[in-house]
Amino acid sequence: MVNDLHVFEALPAYALGSLDEEEARTVNAHIAGCHLCRQELDAFQMVADQLPLAVPEARPSRELSPRLMERIQSLNVGKPAQPVGWRFPGRLLPVGALAGILLIILLAFSNFLLWQRLNDPEVLTGPLGMRAITLGNTAAAPSASGFVIMGADGQNGVLVVDKLPPLEATREYQVWLVRDSSYTGGPVFAVDETGYRGVRLQAPDSLLSYSAVWVTIEPVGGSPEPTGEQVLNGSLFNP
Amino acid sequence: MKLDGVDDVTLVKLIADAHTDAIQELYDRYNRLVFSVALTVLGDRAVAEEATLDVFVRVWQGAKTYRPDRAKVNTWLIAITRHHAIDILRWQNSRPDVKSLSLNDVSLSNGTAVPDTEARVEISLQRARIRSAVAQLPAEQRQALVLAYFKGYTHQQIAEVLKQPLGTIKTRIRLAMQKLRETLLDEDSDASESP
Repeated sequence: MVNDLHVFEALPAYALGSLDEEEARTVNAHIAGCHLCRQELDAFQMVADQLPLAVPEARPSRELSPRLMERIQSLNVGKPAQPVGWRFPGRLLPVGALAGILLIILLAFSNFLLWQRLNDPEVLTGPLGMRAITLGNTAAAPSASGFVIMGADGQNGVLVVDKLPPLEATREYQVWLVRDSSYTGGPVFAVDETGYRGVRLQAPDSLLSYSAVWVTIEPVGGSPEPTGEQVLNGSLFNP
Repeated sequence: MKLDGVDDVTLVKLIADAHTDAIQELYDRYNRLVFSVALTVLGDRAVAEEATLDVFVRVWQGAKTYRPDRAKVNTWLIAITRHHAIDILRWQNSRPDVKSLSLNDVSLSNGTAVPDTEARVEISLQRARIRSAVAQLPAEQRQALVLAYFKGYTHQQIAEVLKQPLGTIKTRIRLAMQKLRETLLDEDSDASESP
């Protein structure tokens, strides 16, 4: 329970991350200026931080250690590494498959983009109704660029970003689909050393039903709604 | 390079300097902890192993961002693991298997950890303390706690999953956390008073 004076009763749940968004915002605002509640929160946070130690201990397979070192070595020599931090909904997709899909789509569009000169450069419509939407960057990532490429029916899409700054380990980029001032959280992702990444987009509804796409910086694992700096954005409205 | 006796913080600094021996050593120390947390959240060994790999690759890539003044290395690792695993869960859109969510399997033993370094001894002691404290909670409080922490559920979602009034869930979680805090504080006091 949250009152005007202190938020003691809400602090255990806040430490666990189980408050709803509005309650969490209220607590967040309060503890920013209340030393007493901050101290209480620290005590409950210490309890929450220890909870993982209560889980039954399990061992991964022996093959995991060499796989890790193999991946580390591939990162070391600058080879393309297996993507970290994002999964296709419900299943894992091989890196090669994603790269192949992206390559095919990008090659098809690159030819198209070369000759097509439209008045509105932000949305390009290609053969069979495919669309490529240019994302604009912000002051938080002035060198970054991005595209959303989607099928004619908007059921599938791919976000491709380039030159986004790598983030510290506790932060990730997150994709947002915006409609009527509400936000649908999309995948979180990290970029490689050049700031490049391709991410598949799937949403409960057709991508065409959303008005905009954003990319923001969020805590690892993502947020229920955008909280961090926006680095890319673009309109998904049809031209 | 022999890293057996190197403390965790130094190990992370070595990782930041791209010493592959250091990431191997960190993996050897904490793979079971990271995997256990991932498995608890995800409930699937194969997916939990992929998540475990991801966590250590992130550490490799982001070791420079670790701040020892903010958290111990194992706390940092757990935070990355939990957030990443919950994110995978969110995208799998899986329904929670309530029966698998209790911590009834929690035992009071120290498992198979071999306390051959100071860090491992500390982890083993921490494990024993928190397991004992959690085991003392009523089952319904443990269940609500696990849904909140390991599945990333809000009060409202927990109330729906367990088919209990929202107020009941809030009370269970608050009481569980308060009890854990008291128990762990008491044990801290006892430990500091003992010779």
